[in-house]
Amino acid sequence: MRNKFSLILLAFVLSLALVVAGCGGGAGDKKPAAESKAPVKIGFFAPVTGPAAADGDSVTKAAKLAVEKINKTGGINGRQVELVAYDDNLKPQEAVSIAQKLTTKDGVVAAVSGSYSHTTRAAAPIFENAKIPMIAAYALHPDITKGGDYVFRQSFVGTAQGKAGAFVAINMLKAKTVAILNVDNDFGTTLADSFAQYFESKGGKVVSRDKFTMVEKEFNPVLTKIKQLKPDLIYMPTYSGTGAQIARQAKELNLGIQMLGTEGIDSTMEFLKVSGDSANGIIITTNLNRDSKLKATQDFIKDYTAMAKHAPDMVAASTYDCFMVLAEAMRKNGPEPEKIKDGIYKIKDFEAATGIIKGYNKLGEVTKNVQVQVVKNGAFTYYGEITDAVIITPPDK
Amino acid sequence: MFLQQIINGIVVGSVYALTAMGATLVYGIMRILDISNAGAYAIGAYVSFFFLMQTGSPIVALVAGVTLTAAFGFLVQKFLYAPLMNKSPNVSLIAGIGLFIFLQDFLRLVAGPQARELNFGTLLPSIQFPSLQLTLYGTWFLILGATAVLLFILWYLLNRSPIGLAWRATAQDLETAKAMGINTNRVVAFNFILGYGFAAVAGILVGILYNAVYPTMGDVPAYKMLAVIVLGGLGNPLGTVLAALVIGMAETLIGGYIGFFLPRDAIAFVVLILILLWRPQGLLGRRRTS
Amino acid sequence: MYEQVIAINVGLAMLLAMSLNIITGFAGQPTLGHAAFYGIGAYTSALLTAKAGWPFLLALPASGAMAALVGVLLGLFSVRVREDFLAVTTIGINFVIVAIFQYVQLFGASLGLAVPKPVVFGIRFGNTEILILLIVLNLLVYLFMRHLPNSWLGLALGGVRNDEEAAASLGFNPDHYKVFAFGIGTFIAGMTGSVYAHFMGFISSTDFSFPVSVGVLSMAVLGGLGTVSGPLLGAIILTLAPEVFRFVSDYRMLVYGGLLVLMMRFQPQGMVGDDSWLRQRWDAVRTRGKGGARRG
Repeated sequence: MRNKFSLILLAFVLSLALVVAGCGGGAGDKKPAAESKAPVKIGFFAPVTGPAAADGDSVTKAAKLAVEKINKTGGINGRQVELVAYDDNLKPQEAVSIAQKLTTKDGVVAAVSGSYSHTTRAAAPIFENAKIPMIAAYALHPDITKGGDYVFRQSFVGTAQGKAGAFVAINMLKAKTVAILNVDNDFGTTLADSFAQYFESKGGKVVSRDKFTMVEKEFNPVLTKIKQLKPDLIYMPTYSGTGAQIARQAKELNLGIQMLGTEGIDSTMEFLKVSGDSANGIIITTNLNRDSKLKATQDFIKDYTAMAKHAPDMVAASTYDCFMVLAEAMRKNGPEPEKIKDGIYKIKDFEAATGIIKGYNKLGEVTKNVQVQVVKNGAFTYYGEITDAVIITPPDK
Repeated sequence: MFLQQIINGIVVGSVYALTAMGATLVYGIMRILDISNAGAYAIGAYVSFFFLMQTGSPIVALVAGVTLTAAFGFLVQKFLYAPLMNKSPNVSLIAGIGLFIFLQDFLRLVAGPQARELNFGTLLPSIQFPSLQLTLYGTWFLILGATAVLLFILWYLLNRSPIGLAWRATAQDLETAKAMGINTNRVVAFNFILGYGFAAVAGILVGILYNAVYPTMGDVPAYKMLAVIVLGGLGNPLGTVLAALVIGMAETLIGGYIGFFLPRDAIAFVVLILILLWRPQGLLGRRRTS
Repeated sequence: MYEQVIAINVGLAMLLAMSLNIITGFAGQPTLGHAAFYGIGAYTSALLTAKAGWPFLLALPASGAMAALVGVLLGLFSVRVREDFLAVTTIGINFVIVAIFQYVQLFGASLGLAVPKPVVFGIRFGNTEILILLIVLNLLVYLFMRHLPNSWLGLALGGVRNDEEAAASLGFNPDHYKVFAFGIGTFIAGMTGSVYAHFMGFISSTDFSFPVSVGVLSMAVLGGLGTVSGPLLGAIILTLAPEVFRFVSDYRMLVYGGLLVLMMRFQPQGMVGDDSWLRQRWDAVRTRGKGGARRG
């Protein structure tokens, strides 16, 4: 009989739930091994499936490359690093489940987020509560690091990069008027806002602000509008898919206006290849200087290109560095969560793929020079570097 | 500038019309909303891309893309939708959604999540009219031309050919048509082949227009096309074209003049809801009798 | 704790699937935008507790009420349009509501909203308390669902679903019942949204997008629309699957899509629907011990 079946089912579910509720507040099944030859586990989550799969693929490759490199160069004082990676399908609810699993069942001593802002934002408090350090590779939401001492960020916080962009606009590109065209999520909005603020504080004028969704393809209407306004510069904080379309359609329209982008379009496959020669001349603020003399940078580019058969992008570089920073902290301070956290704060002038990491402030935000690259002949090349402390120092509360 | 925006709106609308035509035809015959049609859109683009890489010939790529996808449509109809014809519409809807999700991830796994270029090499020149502040892109001509040709072919097929007569009879009443001796199975199969073929063309054209082919390219069309065909009155190809133009124009003009006060893809639905409040049967639908 | 979080996810999913079942399974009205009401409830609760200082116990029903308000409007609209139009309109509602959350500053726009943990009678809610709350809510809704098919409401809804004209000729006004079903279903979804918001601590517009609606509908259809236990089963399976099948997580969408296709092709009535494979096995097991001949 129908009702009997559903009754039994519900009873089963309820009893399961009560059993689970009964074991609340436990410290977890597996504590990280304190002193042994057991592998050191680092947790990782990224959007491998779902709308951000391209970035998810990129960062996963970088994570694997990093762990391989760490293990090849002696591991953590003899112990191997093991990568515990999960796919969050770009859903915050998944990220929460994954964070719970990593911190209570998998025995990781630290974690890296290779995911976007909302997923990382949802997962951050769990790492904080579990006192397990987590570095966000490129998620920009300002609240991510505000939760406490255990959450760090590897990429420039939105305000720093936006200011850097404005600095480039005023000092390097001599622009007096700018049209802002940004993707309408926290990434695009925070960058656009901080750009506008700094730009206007130095006397510049923002002549228009337009936004669009992440999946937009049709930019002719808005570019036609901007063409009429004749600004000196277009500032476009967005991602590769949309950035490539803006570049192409601007060229078709014969727009003739200098374009300034951000690390969001720092991608060979998704941006440079799709835009073709319409990308030439575009300048971006980013963290990967392809022409850098640093060994860490060149080695990373070489290794990643060999592994992935295409050049690395910003998200891969940031993710790679998260692991390198963790390895450094573990080697110098010890592979326990508390020691790793302290170790990260102690990092000073560490050479990494994304430049010299000056350190992390008390909020967990990174301080490093902002790279400025220009697209020449279909590749990113050095254009400049911003070292001004006023610009690159992130907020500490 | 206004003229530019208007023509832009027409081009966008044309793409929507082509994309939505497949689902319109399917609905006309089977009264089901076919979301997997958007999967055909992506598959057409990818098959084309593959053949372009292999043979370097745009013609081969185009023909292969359309015919293989159309053949796929035949299989989908035969093995998935036909057995579900007398079940509740929810069932075929979910089946279509499941198929779409499956196809998207299949493409991701086979071709990788990165976007690929669909460069047909033919650099179609644009024409400038500086005095009118007008730029007509080569690709726009391609799209408008293709749309016009295809819609004409469709019109001819439906209104001037024997199979069109069979189609309209079957669409009106399947049982009666069968009783009159029409091979309804063949009509339904033909319908799907045509519908998926249209979707493939749309996918290929969009791939060329934006020089990008990627696994999730069917996401936006999947649901936006539903808005288009419902607005048009469901199952009425002319209604679909009209609705597609209305939505394409609305999006372009709002984007160009007011700025998006809501994300572009929500605009199609706002238009839909507003018009349905005024005309519950859609633009060219028939008012329900009860 | 990991298991707790999984149980919470299941609890949320079951409530959503049951609430959708009332609208689509019992009253026969297609609703493909259910996540919109989930979202309305979540944002309402977030704003009431975070910005207006309301206590959680008041915010919870208020969230349900807010969602039901919009739900009733949708119900009123649904009586004017044909079924297929309604299906797409519900998709439209989903998109428009999510778009509003995305663009309007009050809802945090693209930065989302932080949601405080509830404090009830001095107890600060952690996951354990949220799980207990979910168990209570699930129990209440389940009892309602169980009672429904044999109640006057259930019979009326069934009549509306199966044959509107016949129902009307018996003196029911089908339109009233459609609106009613929308009201109840969206109320439950709204309340669930409130629990979700406080569990997650942070919400953003994409949490309630169209794919989420598809997920909820899939759960109900997978289990069996119109049955009492079907949505529960569907919710459990589709929520636990990603956890259980983490080793194939790279293929998860493939499996999910394939599962939907296969289920619809071969068991469209759902797992516990009429004459489903599972139900036949269940009946066979039950009658085996009764010495041969089937009674009744």
